[in-house]
Amino acid sequence: MDDNQIVNENAYPDDEYIYNETFIGEDGEEYYYEEPLISLFDVVKEYDKGMVKALNGINLDIFEGEFVSIIGPSGSGKSTLLNMLGALDKPTRGKIFIDGIDLVKEKDLSQFRQERIGFVFQLHNLIPNLSVFDNVQIPLLPTDMSNKEMKERASEIIRAVGLEDKKKQRPNKLSGGQRQRVAIARALVNNPSIILADEPTGSLDSKTGELILNLLMEMHERYNVTLIIVTHDNGVAALAERTIKIKDGKIIEDKYNY
Amino acid sequence: MSIIGIAIGITTIVALGLITTGMEDSVQTSLNDVGAEITVSNSSSVSTNTGLIDSSIVEEMKNRTGVIDAAGGLTVTEMNMDRLKSRDSDSSSLATTVVGLAPDKLYMMGINDVDGKIYENGTRDAIVGAEYAEVNNVSIGDDITLQGKEFNVTGIFETGSPFVDSGIYVPLDTLQDITDNDGVSRILVKTGEDVNDSAISDKIEEDYENFTTLTSEEISSIADDVLGILDTATLAVSALAIIVGGIGIINTMVMAVYERTKEIGVLKSVGWKSRKILTMILGETLVLTTLSGIVGSIFGILIPEVGLRLFNVTDFALGYSPKTFILAFGITIIVGIIGGIYPAYKASKLAPTEALRYE
Ligand SMILES: Nc1ncnc2c1ncn2[C@@H]1O[C@H](COP(=O)(O)OP(=O)(O)O)[C@@H](O)[C@H]1O
Ligand SMILES: [Mg+2]
Repeated sequence: MDDNQIVNENAYPDDEYIYNETFIGEDGEEYYYEEPLISLFDVVKEYDKGMVKALNGINLDIFEGEFVSIIGPSGSGKSTLLNMLGALDKPTRGKIFIDGIDLVKEKDLSQFRQERIGFVFQLHNLIPNLSVFDNVQIPLLPTDMSNKEMKERASEIIRAVGLEDKKKQRPNKLSGGQRQRVAIARALVNNPSIILADEPTGSLDSKTGELILNLLMEMHERYNVTLIIVTHDNGVAALAERTIKIKDGKIIEDKYNY
Repeated sequence: MSIIGIAIGITTIVALGLITTGMEDSVQTSLNDVGAEITVSNSSSVSTNTGLIDSSIVEEMKNRTGVIDAAGGLTVTEMNMDRLKSRDSDSSSLATTVVGLAPDKLYMMGINDVDGKIYENGTRDAIVGAEYAEVNNVSIGDDITLQGKEFNVTGIFETGSPFVDSGIYVPLDTLQDITDNDGVSRILVKTGEDVNDSAISDKIEEDYENFTTLTSEEISSIADDVLGILDTATLAVSALAIIVGGIGIINTMVMAVYERTKEIGVLKSVGWKSRKILTMILGETLVLTTLSGIVGSIFGILIPEVGLRLFNVTDFALGYSPKTFILAFGITIIVGIIGGIYPAYKASKLAPTEALRYE
């Protein structure tokens, strides 16, 4: 597996990226080596004292601004992988670097999560005794935003997911699609540069699912957000620029869709 | 839910605190000083009705150095036969102490304030203690039967000592007459100021080998002993209340925070620092324990108060002291914080994904 991924300069017009080296490709164009946003080296994740190997030697680089889908059968380790990519868990063995942070060594990842990660969980994970508005506002509370700014930001994002009239409701009063939209609003409220979504459309009808996907893809296209979606739906996977297939905790295919 | 659990703990601490303080207070008042400094009785007597002291000794006592006044008292016990027969559950007492004492010597029992009239020598008049009057529903002018004879109640007194206030006082000569006794069961001795009571009492015991004496100093030192024992008992009960209440509070807090492990996982996954999470839990714990403290204190007062009324307890009052409430609140807050922060700390140390797995 390559340590560095070849990418076209034009795909990343922003010059804040670290370019290690340039070279001329076979087609005569100039290419750059780019430092990956997330790098995994031989990552193994075991559960139950090694009885379950959820991830079994993953090597993977993901670059800033990519839209990646991770596909595989149930129990193949997709969620486990996504959690590693989002700094929500640490590997049993191997190394993970996210944005230059050594995940294995770093103790307090909270600020990194707060500033850069938006996570949409498979099971929403909304706090049941808080209103939609409060659930969405949660990621902003550790910031130094003023109350007014927080309120405005949370309201704005709730409007964007079309739940303005449900602000005061508790999550258990909402439909599955509405809850998922709250979860997305919560993931987006802190303007993350990486959005990770675990089967965001899994429990939804196709129309609602499409709406949710559009919402996420819009974030990716408009703000160049790195978008990683776990799915077991080939159609959803095909929307991404890159699809990683995993089975039994191993990557069996990693391809660009065009 | 959590409020109830914590409030129960506080209720336990407050209720037991009020009761034990009340017990201390009541012992303190029952052992209040009475008028006479020295009480002389016949050591050969087992009960107060046998082994009487000859009346002539009273004069001898009065003439001893350091002694201002002496009075003979005859004590008999009046059984309440009606009560025994009817097996009534009314609150009138089973046995009453009847004391024969000359009217001008009543002050030696601390009887100074009498509602109504004091009896005169040789009459079938009696005065009764306030406690007796209340329990047996007796008022001035009523007739009561003592030793098979009718007596007229001419007055009601209150000394503050439950022992004295639950008794009946009649003229000494009348009681001697109807019980066919010449002697007295006790001699109350009043000593002058600035004299050594224990020296006088030791001298009495020396001169009369059959007599034992009890000075009010001894009584108060016995009282101190009793209070000391009670203090230890109170401490033990309080410790028990604190342990029982404390375990309840810890348990409630641990459960309440444990249930929120998943919520803590959510907060961590969206970038909350462990410290912020702990601060939040700490704040909530303080609010929760304070609320529970108020609710628990109310119930801690209500339950024993209602209990006392329910069982018609009139001679015991709860002892309200700020100590009890400060203790209950202090314990609750400390224990609540330990019980709340510890599981929160553990949850905040988990990887977010692990915390999120809790249901
Ligand atoms: N916290 C955990 N404890 C024990 N086993 C786990 C845990 N999380 C996942 N697993 C196991 O690891 C494997 C991969 O799980 P997961 O990553 O959730 O798969 P997927 O998301 O592809 O369905 C499964 O066998 C699952 O049972
Ligand atoms: Mg999964």
